[in-house]
Amino acid sequence: MSDIVTIILLFVTLLVLLGAGVWVAFSLMLTGALGMLLLSNAPIGPILATTFWGHSTSWALAALPMFILMGEILLRSRLSQDMFTGLSPWLKRLPGRLLHVNIFGCAIFAAVSGSSAATAATIGKMSVPELTERGYPTNMVLGTLAGSATLGLLIPPSIILIVYGVATEQSIARLFVAGVLPGLMLVALFASYVIIYALLNPSRIPQDDDDDMPFLDKLRATGRLIPVLLLIAGVIGSIYIGIASPTDAAAVGVVLSVLLSWANKSLSWSMLRDSLMGATVTSCMIAFILVGAAFLSVSMGFTGIPRHLAAWIADMGLSPYALLAALTVLFVVLGCFLDGISVVVLTTSIIMPMILEAGIDPLWFGIYLVIVVEMSQITPPVGFNLFVIQGLTGIDILRIAMAALPFFLLLLLAVALITLFPGIATYLPSLMDG
Amino acid sequence: MRKLLDGIYDVSGLISALLIAGICLLVTTQVMLNLITKTGLTDMNLTIPSYADFAGYMLAASSFLALAYTLVRGGHIRVNLVLRVLPAKLRLAAEVVAHMLGAGVAGYATFYMYRLTLESYEFGDMSSGIVAIPLYIPQSTLLTGLVVLTVAMIDLTVQIIRSGEPVGVEQMNTE
Repeated sequence: MSDIVTIILLFVTLLVLLGAGVWVAFSLMLTGALGMLLLSNAPIGPILATTFWGHSTSWALAALPMFILMGEILLRSRLSQDMFTGLSPWLKRLPGRLLHVNIFGCAIFAAVSGSSAATAATIGKMSVPELTERGYPTNMVLGTLAGSATLGLLIPPSIILIVYGVATEQSIARLFVAGVLPGLMLVALFASYVIIYALLNPSRIPQDDDDDMPFLDKLRATGRLIPVLLLIAGVIGSIYIGIASPTDAAAVGVVLSVLLSWANKSLSWSMLRDSLMGATVTSCMIAFILVGAAFLSVSMGFTGIPRHLAAWIADMGLSPYALLAALTVLFVVLGCFLDGISVVVLTTSIIMPMILEAGIDPLWFGIYLVIVVEMSQITPPVGFNLFVIQGLTGIDILRIAMAALPFFLLLLLAVALITLFPGIATYLPSLMDG
Repeated sequence: MRKLLDGIYDVSGLISALLIAGICLLVTTQVMLNLITKTGLTDMNLTIPSYADFAGYMLAASSFLALAYTLVRGGHIRVNLVLRVLPAKLRLAAEVVAHMLGAGVAGYATFYMYRLTLESYEFGDMSSGIVAIPLYIPQSTLLTGLVVLTVAMIDLTVQIIRSGEPVGVEQMNTE
């Protein structure tokens, strides 16, 4: 059978399996097995077993359940209340006022949690009712929340960067550090958009009359945020300086977040148990998809398909920019139907050789991929942030998607910026070598 | 029977959770030891032997033992976009096929994981760290997890066919 027919057959098989509701991990395994059956004589079963074993016992991957656990614990502590009361007195001075609470709240929470759905839920639970009650325009409230919550994916510790790092054998520490500047750039882009919006439509931003808090009260309100900020600085800082691997930092992060929630009296046995069980389920789900994707990668290696695709792209003489533009479209479309982690593992199974062939830095590509996946979080029909916010507010998903559209475009702008100036992602990690 | 099965899923889920807590404690302890070494209070380089290997084995055990627990809670990601719009009968058929495929793959993987574990046992394969342990021990935790997953997949398949409607786990992704 000619290669191109087999490739199409495999791709169709994968889509049919996924569409028919077969679990993502099983779909990946079945597609891999079919590929090996058609294009190689390699023994499928033994390779499946050795792949499961070889790809589930990694030290780097151990960071995954612990960062998830840290997020689960902080999510159940009083963090979201503290975030609102701590941030609002300061952000009131910016044009757009409390809308910035969504952006900065999400950015801070993103730094303790690796998930954008959790970020949207935690920040939104507090900010949506508060902002709506004060008369902020619903579209902006929803848009800033949906858009900024995607920061959870990029700002370290990021679950999806761990997945990318493990799947492509990139250093997770370097990936985390590479995510810092692009993450801050997105915060700046989002905040600028709100400021411009507020300057153009001053009448829509309520000028609430509550008299200014005395300076000391402001400090006191913010004081509750300081432990969390220290925790973030400690986790990211220790990875950056190189005294701790991401796994070390994650473990210490869990212990510190338990202490934090104990200090603010939100710690209880049931809270701890719920956090632990939640983290167990989430990390099991991700680990299972990862071993499924690892098997697909191994089987694709046997079939030679990724090499052929890479050679084919090379023959077409596409410039890296044209390749990235095509991939961006592909990922956004894929992201409409698949969750971010599945998009990432599929990419790494099939597209990675193509990326290396085109001379694109895999570290940079990880950051690029995450921003594109962020875009897919706020596009219908499958955008997880949209679902979460729908669950939170009861507002129709399409309307939320419309409200998030400007932020989608800002993410697109960010993709263009890091493509034109790759240093935004690669500068900080390059300093780590020394 | 129902109680027994649910009990098995819950217990393996609980063990997974404890393993994650265990990894946290292990790694934190090692970080503390590193700090003590750095302060220079002791000349010894305090290291828990092979702690990275053990963390990896605990992680693998946790991931696989939680498979069934995660499955019955709807934690494993699947695309239900198409399923949701299908007419009831077609949807049921698709659900049955998806579950049977899942049970098939899980059973297949279980068989070959059993063979791998058996080989490690017979050849006496040891881990390569300072503390060498027989590889069949951590491998059998993966095997156990896959056995429980297979049982759970069959269990869900039977439940669907019996009741004639998709089991009440509305898949909600926790990404």
